[in-house]
Amino acid sequence: MLSVKNLHARIGEKEILKGINLEVHAGEVHAIMGPNGSGKSTLASVLAGRSDYEVSEGSVEFFGKDLLDLSPEARAAEGLFLAFQYPVEIPGVSITNFMKSAINEIRTYRGQDPMDAVQFLKMFKEKMAYVNIDQSLLSRALNEGFSGGEKKRNEIFQMAVLEPKLAILDETDSGLDIDALRIVAEGVNKLKTPQNATILVTHYQRLLDYIIPDFVHVLYKGKIVKSGNKDLALELEERGYDWIISALD
Amino acid sequence: MLEKSLVDSIKTIDSLTQAQQLALGKFIDKGFPTSKWEEWKYASLKHLNERNWKWSPETLSVNIPKPAWKHSVIIKTLNGNTHSEGTLPQGIALLPVSEFMAQNPTFESVWKVRNPILDQNSLYDLNEALASNYAILWVKKGVKIAEPLLHHYLVSGQQDTAVQSKIFIYLEEDSEITWFEQQRSESSHAILSNYVQEIWVSKNAHLTLIKDQDLQQSITHVDHTFIFQQESSLVDAFTFSINAAYLRNNLHFYIDGPQVVSNLNGLYVPGEDQLMDTHSVVDHRMPHSESNELYKGVLMGNATGVFNGKIFVRPDAQKTNAFQSCKNVLASDRATMNTKPQLEIWADDVKCSHGTTTGQLSDEALFYMRSRGISKATAQTLLLLAFVQQVIDKLEHAEIRAELSEKIVNKIQASLGLTLL
Ligand SMILES: Nc1ncnc2c1ncn2[C@@H]1O[C@H](COP(=O)(O)OP(=O)(O)OP(=O)(O)O)[C@@H](O)[C@H]1O
Ligand SMILES: [Mg+2]
Repeated sequence: MLSVKNLHARIGEKEILKGINLEVHAGEVHAIMGPNGSGKSTLASVLAGRSDYEVSEGSVEFFGKDLLDLSPEARAAEGLFLAFQYPVEIPGVSITNFMKSAINEIRTYRGQDPMDAVQFLKMFKEKMAYVNIDQSLLSRALNEGFSGGEKKRNEIFQMAVLEPKLAILDETDSGLDIDALRIVAEGVNKLKTPQNATILVTHYQRLLDYIIPDFVHVLYKGKIVKSGNKDLALELEERGYDWIISALD
Repeated sequence: MLEKSLVDSIKTIDSLTQAQQLALGKFIDKGFPTSKWEEWKYASLKHLNERNWKWSPETLSVNIPKPAWKHSVIIKTLNGNTHSEGTLPQGIALLPVSEFMAQNPTFESVWKVRNPILDQNSLYDLNEALASNYAILWVKKGVKIAEPLLHHYLVSGQQDTAVQSKIFIYLEEDSEITWFEQQRSESSHAILSNYVQEIWVSKNAHLTLIKDQDLQQSITHVDHTFIFQQESSLVDAFTFSINAAYLRNNLHFYIDGPQVVSNLNGLYVPGEDQLMDTHSVVDHRMPHSESNELYKGVLMGNATGVFNGKIFVRPDAQKTNAFQSCKNVLASDRATMNTKPQLEIWADDVKCSHGTTTGQLSDEALFYMRSRGISKATAQTLLLLAFVQQVIDKLEHAEIRAELSEKIVNKIQASLGLTLL
């Protein structure tokens, strides 16, 4: 579904992504690991359509469409979802209002009728159960004053509501307590179907105990320098990145 | 100095008292404010010199749709003439100010020695010269009215007309009212709508003052509101500036007693070819009082906004708490906002803070929302509505809140060409 070829991206004069290649197929789980500052969030942002980054080379196809040509909202409507490493606080906008706008704009994009309030609430309640999210959070302004863990859980809740074809979770495990990690991971597993795929950006093997990846990639200085199966994550946990990096130099 | 032709025409007005002539003389000497005047730097009224003003407006009558809430009376100020329709509640009277003063010599002597207003300008002089026999709304001791009193202010003219209006609100001790003022116009001609409101809030009285300013594009509207607060009184003021080519608010609070609370809330949403200028003054003259200012602006098209907030804390005003916040969103790259907080503090044991911000909508927030499938226009709309809602939500009266909310939302959406699904 996703085909990234030789992707280069820069911000101002600084080149951050230096030729990424990545193929993701339906039903797969990919984990992307790598040291701080290697470009993981940048890759996620470029895929989601953040305009701060300039793509200087390469291509991205999503279900055969040129993803880079689409606005962020069109990408979402095509089935892409990014769980932010740092979810943004939106004062004064409730999650309910926010998600209702999102759902209905996506439905309009897809030529479907908007959901009415009753249908919407029913679906909303169902999805809340996926991540065990507290009802009281839903009447509050989006992410405003949420704890770190609450923000992450709310990202997965939004994912459950939007049912994306490809979800990119950028360090959704960071800042979660042990129970929350399990709940979030179970939520992600429940949402898994043979038709959709997940990219997990993470620093920790821990998450991968719950969500078993088919592929593990190491991103370093803007390139994928090593790929393997789930055992690679175990090896990284044990040995760190040095052995990979020194083999490169 | 006023334009020669205008001096000639204004001098034909006869039967002015000596005091009126004095005020008129001051106005003629000073002329209309221009950008050379410090307090009118961004809001010059020089263009008023180009009109051949009719100084005595025509008599109006108008039918106003009844408000959504239960009421028995509407107070109307039509081209400067104030009267009430329906029955005023028990303990409230509307009468000419001269009659009121004759009945209340004690108050008259207090009123005569009140502190002079600050930033006295030529338009105030003009109003003093021509709006002489104005009305006073007299709320008697202990009278508390839960339902808002609707005040319909209207200016109109079949030719370019300068309208002087004035009203006095007098709240006796322990009284309480909500004054909901709709400021409107009905004219395709240029109108100078020059409005003075003086308000005396006695000990323990509580006033909620709501101004809904929605005038036509041919109107220059200047609102001078001077509020004198006595011991332990509370005023919640709201100014919603929605439409007019030129809209200036001079809102002054004179805190004349201890334990006073003054809340100033304002929202201005100027669009294409509109200028909205707020000059607030909070003058803390007595100790243990509190003032809170919350102003917000959304500037669209090529709009200009001005906020100048003066806070004075006099030497006797120890233990004053004075807060001021003014936040603005430039929703167009052709819009400008000028802000100037001005704090002058002579007392040492006080808590004061102020903050002004002017910026665009957050790119971070917009991207976050768009990444969920929300279009840019909807994301902007949601963010702007959330931004203005903070001021609107402070209105306690549900119908007024709903009415103003709808009007402001429509204005913003129409100006930016945005709609919500
Ligand atoms: N807006 C920006 N301006 C300047 N530099 C940036 C910007 N965004 C990212 N960078 C730089 O790009 C590099 C990659 O950042 P990125 O956030 O993608 O790293 P990461 O792999 O997600 O790191 P972490 O594991 O810490 O989350 C870093 O050196 C970062 O400082
Ligand atoms: Mg990152």
